[in-house]
Amino acid sequence: MSEGDQELRGLMIRYQGGSLEAFEEIYAQLATGVRRYLSHLAGGAEFADDLLQETFLQMHRSRAAYNPAYAVKPWVFGLARNVFLMGRRAARRWASVHESREDFPEFPVLPEADRLGSQDEIRRGLAYLSPDQAEALLLHHEWGFSFEEIAGMLGTTAAAARARASRGMADLRAALSSLQRTRA
Amino acid sequence: MIDRSPKPPEALMRAIAQDLRPVKPSPQPLQLALRMIPLALLISSAILLAVGPRQDLNVLGPFLTWGASAAQFMLAIALIWIAAHESIPAGRLPRQIVYAAAVAGLLFVVFVTLLTFSTSPATAPLVRVPPQVNEMLRDSPWIMGFGCGIGSTVAGGILVLFFSWAFRNSLATRPTMAGALYGAGAGLAINAGWRIACPFSTPWHALGAHGAAIIATVLLGALIGRYLGKRRSHIGGRPS
Repeated sequence: MSEGDQELRGLMIRYQGGSLEAFEEIYAQLATGVRRYLSHLAGGAEFADDLLQETFLQMHRSRAAYNPAYAVKPWVFGLARNVFLMGRRAARRWASVHESREDFPEFPVLPEADRLGSQDEIRRGLAYLSPDQAEALLLHHEWGFSFEEIAGMLGTTAAAARARASRGMADLRAALSSLQRTRA
Repeated sequence: MIDRSPKPPEALMRAIAQDLRPVKPSPQPLQLALRMIPLALLISSAILLAVGPRQDLNVLGPFLTWGASAAQFMLAIALIWIAAHESIPAGRLPRQIVYAAAVAGLLFVVFVTLLTFSTSPATAPLVRVPPQVNEMLRDSPWIMGFGCGIGSTVAGGILVLFFSWAFRNSLATRPTMAGALYGAGAGLAINAGWRIACPFSTPWHALGAHGAAIIATVLLGALIGRYLGKRRSHIGGRPS
């Protein structure tokens, strides 16, 4: 467990003990990343704030479900994914966005992919990936989760999570070169 | 220096501040599954204490009676362990493991049923009850099927309710699946006890009556899981 995770775990234990300050600190450390993840899942920032509130409210109501043996960050990201999937409205949005594959506002841009093209091109390239590939790719490269953690969140094996991310990166490269050729 | 870290919205803070009582962390999946053993053992063996073991135990031998039931009981605990994993947002097991365990449970019951029938094809009830009751059961075997089906469904249902309480903090992405898994665990655990007590070996009885009870507990678990999942998403709505 990393130093950041250790700190978050300590905060979670204090929060379970009834500390409001610990909750605020957890929010301060995780809200930005969780919001970006929700923004990716929902295909835009429109509902991300609502979903973010729901995630932290759900975390509060289910704070007893956290066991200090778990790393906090994947637990909260997994909960955010859960909140998103449980929300019908957001799920419908997900379906429509991934059918159209037109626009991905506020889509996160991978640090590794930065050299492959402009931010706009990368956003467009990511939109061509399958939702599974894009999610695994972003969880690993953008939010720094290990493949074991991604596997636990997505209900798959670490090898499958790695394969999705790897295929996603290959497809992203192909999409980017295709986009660049079209532009040229 | 300006602090740019995000602050929770006021509505959220109000909702949080309303209930900040200390809570006890949930156990890990293995601990949770192990804690279920005493009650599952008690309820599944209640039928043995009530009517005693079947009278062809010597023919079947310890492997096909206590051994097979012990293995089935362990499989039931494994299903509860998988359900507990399914209930953690970042602790889910690969789908292949989940489905393989469910199929293994099903195949195990069918295999043991057929093996029991081929070893001791007991078709007439020899229950420790007055002779006229045994006579009636011989003439109308469906009564026995009905009794076993209803009895093990009720016992399994009690266990499912207890498991639902133990899984009340579940954060499963697929709550219906999590419920079905611990429902299957309850069904298999109960069947592990009932199969040693029931004097009928015919596949139609073992799979029709006892199998139906397992399916009923799976469905009950799935329905409760679904209800708890919906309730969670409902109470988790945005703070006003």
